[in-house]
Amino acid sequence: MRATPLLRSELEALFPEAFKTHQPRRHDTISTGISEVDLATGGIPVSTLSEICGSGKTSVLTSLLAHASHEHYCALVDGKDSFDPASADAAGANLSRLLWVRCGKSKQKLPPLEQAFAIADILLHSGGFGLVAVDLGDFSDRLLNKIEPAIWFRFARAVEKQRTALVFIEEQHHARSCAGLVLNLKTKHSPLSSTLIMKLEFEAELIRTADKKLPSSVRPIFALRTEWA
Amino acid sequence: MFACLYVPDFSVQAVLRLEPSNTQEALRRSPVAVLDGPVTLPKVTALNEPARKFGIEVGMTKLQVESYGGVTLRKRSLDSEDVAQIGLVTCGNSFSPRVESTCLGTAILDLIGTEKLFGTSENIAQKIFATAAEQGFDLRVAVAANPDTAMYAARGFAGITIIPPHQEAERLASLNVQLLPAAPETLEILDGWGIQTFAELAALPEIPLTQRLGQSGLYLQKLAQGRIKRTLVSVDIFSTFVESYEFDDPVELLESLAFLLHRLIQQIAERLMSHSLATNELRLTLDLGVTQLRNGSKGEQYKREWKLPLPTQDKNMLFSVVRLDLEHTTLTAPVQKITIEAIPIKPRHVQADLFDPPTPEAEKLEITLARVRGIAGSTDNYGIGCVGSPRVVDSHKPDAFLIQPFLSESRTTEKRVLRPILAPRLFRPPLETSVEVSGGRPHVIRLWKSPCRVLAAFGPWCNSGNWWNSRTAWIREEWDVVVKTFGDVGYYRIYRDQITGAWFIEAAFNK
Repeated sequence: MRATPLLRSELEALFPEAFKTHQPRRHDTISTGISEVDLATGGIPVSTLSEICGSGKTSVLTSLLAHASHEHYCALVDGKDSFDPASADAAGANLSRLLWVRCGKSKQKLPPLEQAFAIADILLHSGGFGLVAVDLGDFSDRLLNKIEPAIWFRFARAVEKQRTALVFIEEQHHARSCAGLVLNLKTKHSPLSSTLIMKLEFEAELIRTADKKLPSSVRPIFALRTEWA
Repeated sequence: MFACLYVPDFSVQAVLRLEPSNTQEALRRSPVAVLDGPVTLPKVTALNEPARKFGIEVGMTKLQVESYGGVTLRKRSLDSEDVAQIGLVTCGNSFSPRVESTCLGTAILDLIGTEKLFGTSENIAQKIFATAAEQGFDLRVAVAANPDTAMYAARGFAGITIIPPHQEAERLASLNVQLLPAAPETLEILDGWGIQTFAELAALPEIPLTQRLGQSGLYLQKLAQGRIKRTLVSVDIFSTFVESYEFDDPVELLESLAFLLHRLIQQIAERLMSHSLATNELRLTLDLGVTQLRNGSKGEQYKREWKLPLPTQDKNMLFSVVRLDLEHTTLTAPVQKITIEAIPIKPRHVQADLFDPPTPEAEKLEITLARVRGIAGSTDNYGIGCVGSPRVVDSHKPDAFLIQPFLSESRTTEKRVLRPILAPRLFRPPLETSVEVSGGRPHVIRLWKSPCRVLAAFGPWCNSGNWWNSRTAWIREEWDVVVKTFGDVGYYRIYRDQITGAWFIEAAFNK
């Protein structure tokens, strides 16, 4: 019996990896492409509902789509048709892997907000998309506050079973405890160039993280340059 | 060897074939008569065996038949008969490449060389019988050494008949001479001689028969002896995959329409599969029951075409695509006739790449996109798609893009440089606003009805295009402005349309 620990220690010396137990990652993540945000959040978690709010959310979404579209098929449910494909192309997105749904553009019976939720539900359940982003950034808070908590809960439960990251883009966060990650952004006003808008600085605040621990008090600041800078 | 596929009471079977499978079987056992002729006086043109036993005869008027009670009446449909004939030939095609469409309800196939694949003649006949039953035919099959013997055996004997070589005359002996393609005068002469069966005709001496009836009499005798040998005139129906159905009365409800559509699509899908083909294009034509009062013609049609990104044979997927589209379509009148056509192409044989990202299933994706289109709409007011992959157009015109079909098999190998950028949030269409200009630069902008002071303005950047076309020409003067809003600062792109002189807010940078 004494020989067993001895043998094990000898084998461990020769093959250090042999006796290590595999620790599965709790959440796979998708990089936003902004190193400061990735460092603070660990990336956008898969199988989780996330919210990106505040000013600068469109730029973060564009960068996220650019990164995600190289490894996944992505869907963007554009509530008010505010996505700029030219910017996504400039950010390096693979647009052929992006399904863009422009809500509220044709004479349909459903209002745009309900269209966005219904389409997000269909895409989420259809499977195969690595990222489903729902842009509700132009809807008023008054309208979004009327969304019943059960709907957010249903989305959170549905995405748990999928290998999909579900991201809502809003002016303010509304999903409360249903969201696994809530990122709030603010514009940091910095001196401007005399001839052009070259870059803007943003401050990211973590309201909620994927592992439900108290978010770090660190508020990363990152700068984004314009396409022409 | 040759096999003949014969459908007795073809007109009745062609109509019943499109009935639901559960009622189809019940109708086969009950008396059914097919009516044709002028609307004011339709007459029976075809009937099934139970109807014959019931006492119904060809030529009876609708009123006479109705007086019997319990007889199901159906209107004759020439389209259904054509489609049923195509179905019959297709059924033959799944056993032999050489099939002759002899006449409505009869197809003859050349079985030479198929024995290794399907076994003995009995096995082939049984397989043909089973396949035809799946397609809704109650068939008679006969196998013989020459096409005409097989045809008369199929017409004369029920079920499956196998006639070994050199036994043709013996096996056909009991058939009635009325089956032969003889002129009425010839049949009258034969009747006068007391000739009733093939055996009696076959036994007549050749020379006296030729002296009295000519070469046609000799030909009939050879047919009765099973001695006529001819080559098949094979048909190629590969290029047409069309199914249609005409309703007795125009249909208003989608459920009734969908039920029949499902059946038609199922038949097309089965035929595609039997030819190892698939389709990526469906064409639907609905003849609407609108009668033009002036000239009495029926002319209005609803046409729709679906181009699928990938070829498929999946009947459920094809049906879902059609149904989801029809659910969001309002027709101007009830539907009188449905015609659906599939354009055949070779099926997709693609092995997924091990290193490709997980993709939405191609077949399922098309249904998903159809459902999404049903909610978001297909195109906006400018005719640009609402659902698909964006493609940036090589143009100086701002916000120029196209929407392409979204495919789950994009093979982009190009490595793009990824860099996070400050992406504008667009207002589509741009928001019209008013701007106070001071010293040639924007000074105050009205944002959502509130005047906001401009802290900094960068510009102007002028661009123009399409000057050769007055309708699509644009000339604009762009400004990037920093605006003091309520307790915050906003970064916007505004422009002045130099044709109309109006100001617009195009995008926000820090949203």
